[in-house]
Amino acid sequence: MTTPVSLVDLGSALPEAKVATDFYRGADAVLDDSVMFKSPKYRRHIGPEETAADLIVRAARPVLERAKEHGDGPVDLLITNVLLPDLPFTGAGAEVAHRLGQRPEWVLDVHNGGCVSFVYMLKLARQIMQSGGARTALLCNVQNSAGQVFTQPTIRTKSHAPVPGDGCGIGYLRVGDESPVLDVEVRQYVEYATDVGLAFDDDRKYWQPGLSEMDVSFTDSKVAKIIGRGNQLVPEVVTALCDRIGVRTPDIDVLVTNQPNRMFLRNWREALQLKPERHLDTFEEYGNLFGAAVPITLHEAVTDGRVNPGDLLVLAGFAHAGDMAGAAAVRWRADAA
Amino acid sequence: MTSPSSPLADIPNLLRCETTPREAALAKAAEMTHAVYPHDAVYGQFCTVQDYIDCPPEDVFDYLADLRNLDEWTYSTRHFEPVDDSGLHQGWDTLADDTRIYAKVVANREALTVDYHCAWDQGDELWMIYLNRIIPAELVLKKPGTVLVWTNCRHPYYDDNPNKHLVSDPDRVWVGDMWPLFYAGHRAELDNLKAILEYRHARGIPVTGHVVREGVSA
Repeated sequence: MTTPVSLVDLGSALPEAKVATDFYRGADAVLDDSVMFKSPKYRRHIGPEETAADLIVRAARPVLERAKEHGDGPVDLLITNVLLPDLPFTGAGAEVAHRLGQRPEWVLDVHNGGCVSFVYMLKLARQIMQSGGARTALLCNVQNSAGQVFTQPTIRTKSHAPVPGDGCGIGYLRVGDESPVLDVEVRQYVEYATDVGLAFDDDRKYWQPGLSEMDVSFTDSKVAKIIGRGNQLVPEVVTALCDRIGVRTPDIDVLVTNQPNRMFLRNWREALQLKPERHLDTFEEYGNLFGAAVPITLHEAVTDGRVNPGDLLVLAGFAHAGDMAGAAAVRWRADAA
Repeated sequence: MTSPSSPLADIPNLLRCETTPREAALAKAAEMTHAVYPHDAVYGQFCTVQDYIDCPPEDVFDYLADLRNLDEWTYSTRHFEPVDDSGLHQGWDTLADDTRIYAKVVANREALTVDYHCAWDQGDELWMIYLNRIIPAELVLKKPGTVLVWTNCRHPYYDDNPNKHLVSDPDRVWVGDMWPLFYAGHRAELDNLKAILEYRHARGIPVTGHVVREGVSA
């Protein structure tokens, strides 16, 4: 019998600045008539002096308060995934731990996993916890490129600039079976790793001096392939996970995926035969939250009472241009069902 | 831009580079691309099955063009015999009791097309048409063999038999009632066809001329 690990709590922090689409009004106007690809109505922008650690600390405090009330000791394992590290050669983990008054045995700053990093961190944490390495874990996801990369003068007029939105989502794990993680499936498609990258007009390295502004771009010739890939990867990995735990995909009570665009949300829902209300959607309000989408979207639904004790939760998504796909199943608050 | 004098100016909803920029066209294409499609959206009005067959296109043509071979590779049509010298044949369709099927082959060796024009119960109007296109795989897949594309279109008679008076048993199943299963049925028959042709071709056995009339009775 393996040690059960539970996803017991969530938190989130969104930057104050709520930005409407008229802030951009560049090349995205060409997509105004597109049901699937018109810009999301709103998104949040991280402030000019706001760091990833600031957001994590804000999101984590209430979570740790509740953990303390429950009688939990200090956090044993802290994992972060930050889209745009404030320092390129160190992660946010240590600073976050210090500011939260913690000294975890494990501080891991994972820099892969992109939009599915919450699922990947869940897998990592569960493995460490099942081996007896930790009793509690804090998983922290930050998306902070919208207010930093996509607001630059020459970038913000591009059609993809209005899509990202910033935010931070937190998950808290505890050993036990109160809200158990039933299974996690993560698949690596390493051959797709180079289909996304940084783009500079003058081809400089990101750390070299220059006036060109940094953009994130998918290889043009690969766009159609990435659409096909994305359509396939998430339903495949969710279906495999459901097969393993012995449920049919239409029996998923709540599906929480990354929120890249309306098309993928529609296609995944259709492929898994789920009604729209079963598939949480925050795209219109927050845009593409990258890796933070899963914990933020789930936290909002839990807070609003849209997730019930006993619900089968599936968290899923794919990263970058498809280099990782994953899904995790949780029986939400099984003990209270 | 399409000029107002263009012969296309009055035709709405055309997707052309002159009027839709590439990015908007790509968005439109992505919107139209789903991860899954309901069966009815794909097979509701037209039913196409296709496959690669490891057998030369000329042999596939010869095999398909001989109606007698339907006894081997179809699930239910049997014992085709000429009705007269017009090319019209009649056989049995065992999908239903005591049911005659009439058929005529319309083939073009040069174009490598073999169509079956058929009908249940009568041979005057052959409305149930099976369109087969035989394509040299060398052209499309750069390997020897054949690609076969087989299409049926949902003729209105599938939904309403205009010749009910020819059917003695009012409870007899009508071929069109099975349209929702056409994909499955045709897929299975194409699997039969592929298996027979590939088996014979691989062993150097002539592909056609083997039909043994097995004991199918009306």
